[in-house]
Amino acid sequence: MIGSIPLGDVLLASGALFTIGLAGALLRRSAISIFLSTEVMMNAANLALIGYGSAMGSREGQIIVFFIIAIAAAEASVGLAIFVALFRHKETIDVNKINLLKW
Amino acid sequence: MSASIPLWLVPALPLAGFLVNGFLGKRLGKSFVSAVGVGAVGLATAAAYARLVPFFAGDHSAVVERIAPWFSAGGFSAEIAMRLDPLSALMTSFVTFVGFWIHVYSVGYMRHDETEAGYARYFAYLNLFMFAMLILVLAQNFVLMFVGWEGVGLCSYLLIGYYYERQYAADAGKKAFVVNRIGDFGFLLGMFGLFSLFSSLDFDRVFTAAAADPGKYAPYLTLVCLCLFLGAVGKSAQVPLFVWLPDAMAGPTPVSALIHAATMVTAGVYMVARCNVLFRLAPEAMAAVAVVGAVTAIFAGIIAVAQNDIKKVLAYSTVSQLGYMFLACGVGAYVAGMFHVLTHAFFKACLFLGSGSVIHAMGGEQDMRRMGGLRSKLPITYWTFLIATLAIAGIPPLAGFFSKDAILGSVFEHGQYVLWGLALFTAGLTAFYMFRLVSLTFEGSFRGTPEQEHHLHESPPSMTAPLVVLAILSFVGGWIGLPRVFGENLDRFTAFLSPILLPLASAAERAEPGLSHGAEWLLMGVSVAAAVAGLLLARSWYVRGQGRVPDRIAASFPAAYALLAEKFRVDELYGLLFVRPFDWLARMLWKVVDVLVIDGILNAGAFLVELVGDLLRFLQTGNVRNYALSLFLGLIALMLFVIGAV
Amino acid sequence: MERLVFDAAAALTILFAGLMVMHPHPVKSVLALVVSFFGLAVCYVMLSAPFIAAIQVIVYAGAILVLFLFVLMLLNVGEETRGRERPIQRWLSAAALLVFAGLLLGLLRAHGASAPLSFGPLSGDVAPLARLLFSRYLLPFEALSVLLLAALVGAFVLAQREKGA
Repeated sequence: MIGSIPLGDVLLASGALFTIGLAGALLRRSAISIFLSTEVMMNAANLALIGYGSAMGSREGQIIVFFIIAIAAAEASVGLAIFVALFRHKETIDVNKINLLKW
Repeated sequence: MSASIPLWLVPALPLAGFLVNGFLGKRLGKSFVSAVGVGAVGLATAAAYARLVPFFAGDHSAVVERIAPWFSAGGFSAEIAMRLDPLSALMTSFVTFVGFWIHVYSVGYMRHDETEAGYARYFAYLNLFMFAMLILVLAQNFVLMFVGWEGVGLCSYLLIGYYYERQYAADAGKKAFVVNRIGDFGFLLGMFGLFSLFSSLDFDRVFTAAAADPGKYAPYLTLVCLCLFLGAVGKSAQVPLFVWLPDAMAGPTPVSALIHAATMVTAGVYMVARCNVLFRLAPEAMAAVAVVGAVTAIFAGIIAVAQNDIKKVLAYSTVSQLGYMFLACGVGAYVAGMFHVLTHAFFKACLFLGSGSVIHAMGGEQDMRRMGGLRSKLPITYWTFLIATLAIAGIPPLAGFFSKDAILGSVFEHGQYVLWGLALFTAGLTAFYMFRLVSLTFEGSFRGTPEQEHHLHESPPSMTAPLVVLAILSFVGGWIGLPRVFGENLDRFTAFLSPILLPLASAAERAEPGLSHGAEWLLMGVSVAAAVAGLLLARSWYVRGQGRVPDRIAASFPAAYALLAEKFRVDELYGLLFVRPFDWLARMLWKVVDVLVIDGILNAGAFLVELVGDLLRFLQTGNVRNYALSLFLGLIALMLFVIGAV
Repeated sequence: MERLVFDAAAALTILFAGLMVMHPHPVKSVLALVVSFFGLAVCYVMLSAPFIAAIQVIVYAGAILVLFLFVLMLLNVGEETRGRERPIQRWLSAAALLVFAGLLLGLLRAHGASAPLSFGPLSGDVAPLARLLFSRYLLPFEALSVLLLAALVGAFVLAQREKGA
């Protein structure tokens, strides 16, 4: 089972996932959707890390992913809190409408 | 005891006076200021004479005292060193002495009208002037001399503009400084030339080198001497740079006496005499000197005839007499020229101080047409003034006769008959306008207002004492230089001063032809006759005739008279030729170059920055998604860059 | 054989991620993402990281995404509306994405990472992982707990209703 998956496949999958997440982040207008797309991007990175760790015979990749997931959890909670606060004020989740910093 | 007094002490004492009065004088009261100001110069005079008396009496060889190294850069070095030789000893003797008496006079003249601060300022500047002048005459090299040269120019500016609140006085000070600067430019060029020729600016080195090898240097010396002479023209108010001297009369009268009669203006003559070796190797330059001197003498004399301000007459008279001194140097009679410097210092200072006494008595009035009959009210002033006038007119046995006769004799001796004729005519003219002055001021009846008449009084002793001293010197001062006809060894002055004329290696100089005794007597008689003629004409027209004849002449030739009275409109001419173009240039540089171009460039820069900012503003949409896109685009760019590099 | 499983799981992941991105309704988006994460967990297992796979399912899919759902339902967020916006954002993004994808592909192809794994096989045990975590990575581990605390407090503060003052 272990040791027969070519690294190229892993990277291809990771790259595709990352691109999809990026597309979502750039093209969606809802704040939640953008956030979710960001999560996808992070997972793509995780995949790549695991893949390399496995390829190099080291567990460090997994350690890093472990941390990343934990951080993602923290980040998600704070981000959602922000989201809630924002929604309370603005009654909309359309990011285009949040433009107080416009010149 | 005498040799132990260092030379540098002589200028140092007035410098100390300047510092004390300059910084503390305001607070310490007029008596203190007077004591310090007069005392400093008095002590300097004593110190000077402690060295001079043994010098005059005994060994006349030159003494050089090195004080300190000054600077050296590359091949050029100059040190602070002073020289005591016959020429500098002569200058020092009367600069200190006359300067001292003028300081005493100033106490009386300036005391009542000035504030404490103004009084202190006056004496501080006057002391500073003495310092600079003494540096000038005692310097051992051209650079130190130039320091003194510039210093006296500065003090002249400061003192002419003493009444700086009056526009006229402030302008006159600036005019003096600017015109002097033109001359200084020539002096500097001359110094550069000397350095390139001799690789040194030390007097001994330059003069001995030039005298030893005339053929090598002579071709270049004409230009160098002309440049140096330009400096003298500026400082000693010769044509065409004389215009500052009449306006300099805006300063207090003692200043006019000291600076613009006795000392500063003679610095040019001193410089030419000091450089006699160089000039004697450049005959064209000497010719120029002589011609300029003669032309100036007659030109200024003519203007003086038609002036009504007492000080202006004396100013033009000074310019004219300085012309005589340069004429003498120009024909090679350096000794005669310096003789006239000495006698002129005595009688001209006396005349100016006397005029100050008159002005003081008249409550500030300077127009002679409103004076008259002051003889009875101001006796001491009158008699001293008369003696000095006789001296300047050249009436024997007073001082002016001997020096003027020496000059005229030398000019004739060297075959310059045209110049001699001009000088003779000018001598008559001098006598005429001076006695016109005396007659208008002191003789006849008073023509002023009744208030002025009430105010008339003789001056206090602090002012009359210097007048007496200077009058005595005007009387006897010439007796040290009696001409040969009276006896072969009676010309002590020439014997004393001759060593400064170093012998030249070539026989290029024309030997002194020497006049016969008969010719000498004849020349003396002619010059006396001219003087007497002028005197009598003046008296006839102005005392007995009460000015009717000259008034009629003036009325008959109004244009000619106006030309004279307005000093040939030289200032207006200069204004047209020089001042207006420079003013235009300055204005152009300001309005066009500074405002339009330079400010324009700066403003354009600011405008550009603003423009770019306005354009860049559109990037700030406030929309997060746009920013995210920008980040992403940047990421792509980075990736491309890295890939490209790899 | 393993490769096949991996490829299938990866395809699943990618497919559902794409669905998530495209779907306008947020709740359905999140659910699609849940499936996607499951697929990802399978991938991890194939890469001999079973522990991480478990973490992925429990924490990511089971906690984080559930949290998302909670918030969505709390705020009753509706569908995403058609927006009037300048098209430049969309076009430029699309173009940039294409370029980016192209770059990635190019890189992959150029550096030929299709070779099979060359190092020694990795066992799927958790024990070595734990050992690493508590020895070399102890400090980050502890820092992580502080981070979680900070996040907790921050979220609490941010989500409070304003007290009026």
